[in-house]
Amino acid sequence: MAEKLEHLDVFIVEGKIDIPNSYSAGAVGSKFLIELRDNKRILGLRCPTCDRVYVPPSSTCKDCFGELSEWVEVSDKGTLLSYTVEHRSNVVQPVSPPIVYGVIQLDGADTGLVHMLGEVDPKHVEIGMRLQAAFKDERTASLLDIKYFKPLA
Amino acid sequence: MTQETSQKPEYIFVNYSVPRIHRWSTGRYMGKVYKEARDNKRLVTNRCPKCGELMWHPEPMCGRCKVDAGDDWVEMSDTGTVLQYTYLVVPMWDPHRGERWANPHPLATILLDNGCYIYHFLEERDSEKLASVKRVKAVWKEDGERGNGINDILYFRAIEE
Amino acid sequence: MANRVAIVGIGQTHHKSKRPDVSQPEMGNEAVRAALADADMPMRDVEAVVSTNMETFEGVFLPDHWMASQTGAYMKPGFKVNTGGTTGASGVEEAFNLVAAGLFDVVLVLGFEKQDQGDTTAAITTCATPVWGGGFATGAIGEFAKQALTYMENSGAKEEHAAMVRLKADRGACRNPHAHLRLGLNTVEEVLKSGYLVWPIRLLDFCPQSCGACALVLASEQAVKKITKKPVWIADMVTVHQLPFRAGIFGDLTGKDHYSQEIAAEKLYKRNGITNVIRDIDMAEIYEPSNWEEMNLYEHLRFCEKNEGWKMVEKNMTTIEGEFPVNPSGGVIATNPIGATPVIRIAEAALQVRGDAGEHQVTRDVKTALATALGGSNWSVLTLLKRSL
Repeated sequence: MAEKLEHLDVFIVEGKIDIPNSYSAGAVGSKFLIELRDNKRILGLRCPTCDRVYVPPSSTCKDCFGELSEWVEVSDKGTLLSYTVEHRSNVVQPVSPPIVYGVIQLDGADTGLVHMLGEVDPKHVEIGMRLQAAFKDERTASLLDIKYFKPLA
Repeated sequence: MTQETSQKPEYIFVNYSVPRIHRWSTGRYMGKVYKEARDNKRLVTNRCPKCGELMWHPEPMCGRCKVDAGDDWVEMSDTGTVLQYTYLVVPMWDPHRGERWANPHPLATILLDNGCYIYHFLEERDSEKLASVKRVKAVWKEDGERGNGINDILYFRAIEE
Repeated sequence: MANRVAIVGIGQTHHKSKRPDVSQPEMGNEAVRAALADADMPMRDVEAVVSTNMETFEGVFLPDHWMASQTGAYMKPGFKVNTGGTTGASGVEEAFNLVAAGLFDVVLVLGFEKQDQGDTTAAITTCATPVWGGGFATGAIGEFAKQALTYMENSGAKEEHAAMVRLKADRGACRNPHAHLRLGLNTVEEVLKSGYLVWPIRLLDFCPQSCGACALVLASEQAVKKITKKPVWIADMVTVHQLPFRAGIFGDLTGKDHYSQEIAAEKLYKRNGITNVIRDIDMAEIYEPSNWEEMNLYEHLRFCEKNEGWKMVEKNMTTIEGEFPVNPSGGVIATNPIGATPVIRIAEAALQVRGDAGEHQVTRDVKTALATALGGSNWSVLTLLKRSL
């Protein structure tokens, strides 16, 4: 039933938009995700012209528009470039808050990877800190096969 | 790790379905339609002062004449004539329900007596009998079940005239 | 005074129902690379990028942001256009305006839709909010179903005529390596055997849901000289947005409303001195989501008189070898990646003008071609292409 706002002569109609979506990772994206699942390795694509490594991989270099096919393995260790802490909950979140989202540059990559931080008190997170990927035991070819990035011991 | 070239490549999909909840305002004009349907079991709309056309849905401005449509409200009959109809054979995903649905009631374009063309359902579900359904009258929902605008009408029933 | 604008590069993907091998940006990238290769031009020469797409089909909001590195828009001006069914053509018009106004010399326009990522009818249904009544939408297809019934009743057209249109489309599609549905249909009976989706529209009467992209490179007269000897000039574009019909979204069941296609066509023909359409124009790629609609559109675009559209079909006038070919590429009924479709109409018409349509090149020499786009609620964009201005 629509709710009437008497003083405004309007009714408020509650509704939803619920459409099932299925996104293709594509051949390139699939290879990256399958490596996470099967071998706990993180791959990137390298542009030989610009000497840049994209993680996650991009099949086109945004600077020179070259078609990329040189796969390289990057480290599972990296440096925190930036972060934020989310306290409110939202249905789209992968885990319950508080969540520390970080941008991490893995050793060997020229891009930042967005992921979550774990095993660390949000108060002790610092830009520049060294982190390592912690993989799940049961993996499904998803970016969340990496549970989170934890401080490097 | 090597892959057999004769194997089909494995492609990954990310399946994602999160319903987005919305709260839409009817605005003042559809608000009046909702009020009259709920309180008085009748359909109303407004009339353009320039071209004299009844607008469905009622709006503050007549799009054809580009003038303020104003508040010349007219009660439309809830009896009318079917112009055309169609019916779903294959269930279609209805995003407002979040599921596949083949509404068994045919959807028709109906010209209301002293009114406009509206879309609504026909009670008649037998596809053989549909071509003979011409004159129809609204079947309203019971008191206490109304408050959803034009959905306060359940469907249109064939009448003899 | 406005610059003259020509199409100097044409590229499209091979349209399919599913493309699991590419992500959405990668699919767009295929068409972009094809258009640049056709223009023999490096990406760095493109000055701006117009993307056209209808987000709700894929469920990706602002896809041009995600796709910037793959469309070449990185560090360049980018524009995003969405006008419903006419999306692609409005994007071409945007690119055309940018070049005509002298702001850029070379603009790339990319139309794309990856329909395997969502539910098409559900997305179209979201055009109507429950405020106006819940559960009434049967998507676009319900509307076309009602129109088909009305057309049959008013004009005397029969299901056989709709089937003949479907055959013509399939013959063209089978000669078009980029088309999606290439079924190898041979007889009217085969078409009439397919089941109903929403009565009286059969499965074969309606367009597919395709994954595909189509890109065009547009250039100013100045830049054209350095790029190609075979430009296809955009002589004119006319856009008309109408209100929904009083009794319909894509068509008027009362016969009293004006179709925006008709209004746009009148304006286009008048502005360009076209008095006898099928004589002054050599072929057309029209936006026809169903075979029924194609016959109806022949009338609204003035290829023939009212209620005579089905007669053009009966006389085989609109086949590849016919007097006035329509949709030799297979049309929308063979290929429909919605955001790309109007761009494909313009691209296919341009290939005909250039003489590069390969096996589906029409027999008649094409100096002037018409490409149309149609969308709900009753919006139209018409494009006139010429070999020389």
